[in-house]
Amino acid sequence: MELVRGRAAWSVLSPGGRGLPSGRAGRKGEAVATVPGREAVRADLEQVFRAAYPRVVAVAARVLGSRDEAEDVAQEVFLTFGRSSVPAGEALGWLSVAAAHTALNHLRSGRRRAHREVAAGDGATVTPDVADAVVTLDERRRVRAALARLPRKQAVALVLRHSGVSYADVAAALDLSPGSVGTTVRRAESALRKELNRHASSD
Amino acid sequence: MRHPTDGTLRRLLDEPAGVADADREHVAGCAVCRAGLAAAQRDAALTGAALDMDADVDVDRAWSRLSAATAATAADGRRPQTAAAGSRWRTALRSPVIAGVAVVTLLAGAGAAAAADWLPIFRTERIAPISISQADLLKLPDLSGYGDLEVTEEVQLRGVADAAAARQATGLDVPRVDDLPRGVTGEPSFQVGDRASAVFTFSEAKARQAAAAAGHTLPPAPAGLDGSSFRLTVGPGVAAVWQEARGLPAMLVARVVAPKGYSTGVPFETARDYLLSLSGLPEHVKSQLRTFSADGRTLPVHVLAEELTSASADVDGVPATVFSSRDGALTAVVWVQDGVVTAVAGSLSTEEVLSVARDLEDR
Repeated sequence: MELVRGRAAWSVLSPGGRGLPSGRAGRKGEAVATVPGREAVRADLEQVFRAAYPRVVAVAARVLGSRDEAEDVAQEVFLTFGRSSVPAGEALGWLSVAAAHTALNHLRSGRRRAHREVAAGDGATVTPDVADAVVTLDERRRVRAALARLPRKQAVALVLRHSGVSYADVAAALDLSPGSVGTTVRRAESALRKELNRHASSD
Repeated sequence: MRHPTDGTLRRLLDEPAGVADADREHVAGCAVCRAGLAAAQRDAALTGAALDMDADVDVDRAWSRLSAATAATAADGRRPQTAAAGSRWRTALRSPVIAGVAVVTLLAGAGAAAAADWLPIFRTERIAPISISQADLLKLPDLSGYGDLEVTEEVQLRGVADAAAARQATGLDVPRVDDLPRGVTGEPSFQVGDRASAVFTFSEAKARQAAAAAGHTLPPAPAGLDGSSFRLTVGPGVAAVWQEARGLPAMLVARVVAPKGYSTGVPFETARDYLLSLSGLPEHVKSQLRTFSADGRTLPVHVLAEELTSASADVDGVPATVFSSRDGALTAVVWVQDGVVTAVAGSLSTEEVLSVARDLEDR
């Protein structure tokens, strides 16, 4: 799925981004360009919101394991987007990356509200997968803890990849070469699997 | 040669096309790399399952919330709400929305032959246009990636001498046009086609491969889906074609027995939702497809947003859809009545095709 062409789209996501806790993945020195005039909201906000909201929630939910909390993150991200001048054609990519970063920040900073963690299908309907990848609720919780400990780049790459973002777009987002995206994602997956195995064997 | 890196093996799972041929060939013939690939696949599947979340959202409610938040902080600058429902509908059609006809109906569907073990699950009674951009269209799953598609009755068109012969061949009345629009002259030629049908058999193994190639982890298939079959039939059909001087069709009036679907037991919704979950389509597209096909009677017809516009109309009280190409070269009106689709199309204006449609007479 091609979200964005080229890397210009992603450069807006940087530590200087106003109100956007983007972590260290963005390129330094570039800030989100905001719409001139204090607090003006961009005209295409509703259109972009309606098109991209489910995707943005899905990205954040992968990080947080909670739909409610993911929706909070999505609101935060869209508020920032609404004051930005990110080109509409690059909105989805920008929002996806912003959702990943913001959700990871929530995960790390302990700003988590007391949300119930929801497993896909609530556990009961999880049928044995082709790859035997049955994951219990408890394991999901451990995976999220592990996600919070991963290097930021690995975590973002992992979440974006599992949200269907292409290698080229993940590379652009994180200033990686496309060739090293696989390595980054692989390391992250390996770390998560070890986390699960470690607990499984100590149980 | 050196073994490809773990990263290359990982990418091979998601985007095989992004991996150099030499590396792919090496992996195919190297036990060490194949083991590495299998390990990568296991970890990817495990991570996918661990991260996967059911995130069905209420976009309207979320938008209200964001609106309130922006209104609270913004001095002004909100767009006025769109007034008429009609214009909102048109806006929705223009955005890169929806699609999935072929896939959804084919999955929905099955054969009119209706052997005893075929359960009818889809019968076209309405047509809903769905505007979709080229980019989104490409995200539709290719059915052949998810199972075996067998065309059991080929589409075969042939010319026949006259309306009576067409009727005899198809059992359908060929509507008569008494007042031809300006620029359309002469007698029409008649084309008929027999019923066409196809059977699609879902294969979990194939779906898993396709999902990996598209960069997804295949979610567990619903029970009973693997190996179940779906049949879709359409036709027979007949068309009356008026030629213009250069041999291009000036106008066409066609009638076709509407698409019907059958399954060997798995509910349509199960297969549809599962296939949509694999499609890579944006969630808003999927949700509209679900809505359209929920009743098993509405056939979503995709409209390439870049090339066609659509509008609703009626033909003698029956809801109809008018399609117009953006360059103005083609206009068509389509409606369904009593299980038969009728279309009038040509290099005509909307008024002209509607006028012809409303004056059609059965012979």
